[in-house]
Amino acid sequence: MKKNIFRTIGTLGLTAVTALGLLSGCGSKSADTASAKAADTKDGSADAVYRTLDEIKESGTINIGVFSDKSPFGYVDENGEYQGYDVYFANKIGEDLGVDINYVSTEAASRIEYLQTGKVDIILANFTVTPERAEEVDFALPYMNVALGVVSHDDKVIKDLSEIGADEQVIVISGTTAETYLTKNYPDIKLQKFDTYAAAKSAFENGTGVAWANDNTEVIAFAAENEGYTVGIDSLGSADTIAPAVSKGNETLLKWINDEIVTIGKDNFFHKDYEETLVDTYGTEFEETLVVESGEVK
Amino acid sequence: MNFEIMKSYLPLYKDAMLLTLKIGWLGIFFSIVIGFVCALIRYNRIPLLQRVVGAYIELFRNTPLLVQLFFLYFGLPNIGISIDAQSCGVLGLALIGGAYMAETFRSGLEAIDKIQTESALSLGMNGWQIFIHIIVPQAVAVSIPAFVANIIFLLKETSVFSAISLMDLMFTAKDLIGLYYKTIECLTLLVVFYMIILIPVSILGSIVERKVRYASFGD
Repeated sequence: MKKNIFRTIGTLGLTAVTALGLLSGCGSKSADTASAKAADTKDGSADAVYRTLDEIKESGTINIGVFSDKSPFGYVDENGEYQGYDVYFANKIGEDLGVDINYVSTEAASRIEYLQTGKVDIILANFTVTPERAEEVDFALPYMNVALGVVSHDDKVIKDLSEIGADEQVIVISGTTAETYLTKNYPDIKLQKFDTYAAAKSAFENGTGVAWANDNTEVIAFAAENEGYTVGIDSLGSADTIAPAVSKGNETLLKWINDEIVTIGKDNFFHKDYEETLVDTYGTEFEETLVVESGEVK
Repeated sequence: MNFEIMKSYLPLYKDAMLLTLKIGWLGIFFSIVIGFVCALIRYNRIPLLQRVVGAYIELFRNTPLLVQLFFLYFGLPNIGISIDAQSCGVLGLALIGGAYMAETFRSGLEAIDKIQTESALSLGMNGWQIFIHIIVPQAVAVSIPAFVANIIFLLKETSVFSAISLMDLMFTAKDLIGLYYKTIECLTLLVVFYMIILIPVSILGSIVERKVRYASFGD
């Protein structure tokens, strides 16, 4: 009996020590990598988390993070192929770099992590440029305009956020600009958070929440593709842009993407992209509002 | 690591922990009830019912909790049954836990040699007395280690609740990372809070295990 008690205490002590060691280890390591990263941006040393343009070319494959459940921007079609406005651009990048593309399916909330840990080279997942995000990753030139929008059920269209009752819930996707905007500016609105676009969509269709706040492009697409929904608020918050992102400090890749966006903009590449991927959903009326060519926001 | 930031997240983590505990313990309570009833049905070989219970156990032990939650939360509304997220969490946990608990209890009951029942009968005890005084104390002693393992397993399984929008510990951490990008701080707090929940269960488990051991050794 006695022996048992001592053994239990011993085990516990050991667990606590290990855990503490692990935690403090993590802490100092993260500080190390942070300073290492900072150094990298200056001298481009070899042990960076990201791969430089030359390293990507040499390996013959580029890893691009896209959405797999967000039609018509990034989704997997019935043949298992990635499709959409973002993917169309990604394919062009692969083609012009002369490398194969390995698509990595991401969730909204993990886009920054994927870049910070070097698991992808570029995020092309409808990534809205915000100052907070720009501290963590490097954004290239924008290729699309975006604002927030709110879609609601036809029988109770929400035209203003003040119409939302105290015990009513608004659906958002974790890690999106809609979540950040509502959390900051409307802390009293109850948010029902989902971690994937697909889950939020199913829940909204099942009658969860009085409204769904997301990028206006997405809510307009959702209302166009599904019966019984109306976009009551089509522009909320500031007018933002969507751009490719690379790991902080990956200057060679960033410069290449910027040059690419300017170059292909001369042939109106993103208008062609819109006509190939988005016109079925939005028609031609949104073409000039949405598309940003050569990174020049009007 | 920024401790000021971690401190500012504490209230959110506390709420998440309370939700995790609430759903976790409710789910575990019902899983024990379900498990006990199912184990008795199988142990006593009640015709027909034991087949139903067998099918239930196989179905729920061999599908991931995530799949069951998706089915309950996103699938059932299609046939007109709408259950809120918290109830889905409790129900999902109770169903998967019930299947595991049933097998744990049954293994305990069946570990008791038949000769003991026969001896007790020859001493003039009736069926109920035998069950309460002979079988159950020993069965409990045999089942306890697996029982505690099940409870820890079920509490940890709550980490998939983010799929149905429950702000449990895991989802809170992921959500905060998505909002403020303080990865290491959020993940560290996550580990700490899971340990706050689970280490007491572990300790309590080993104490209970020791307390009931008298049944198998007779001391």
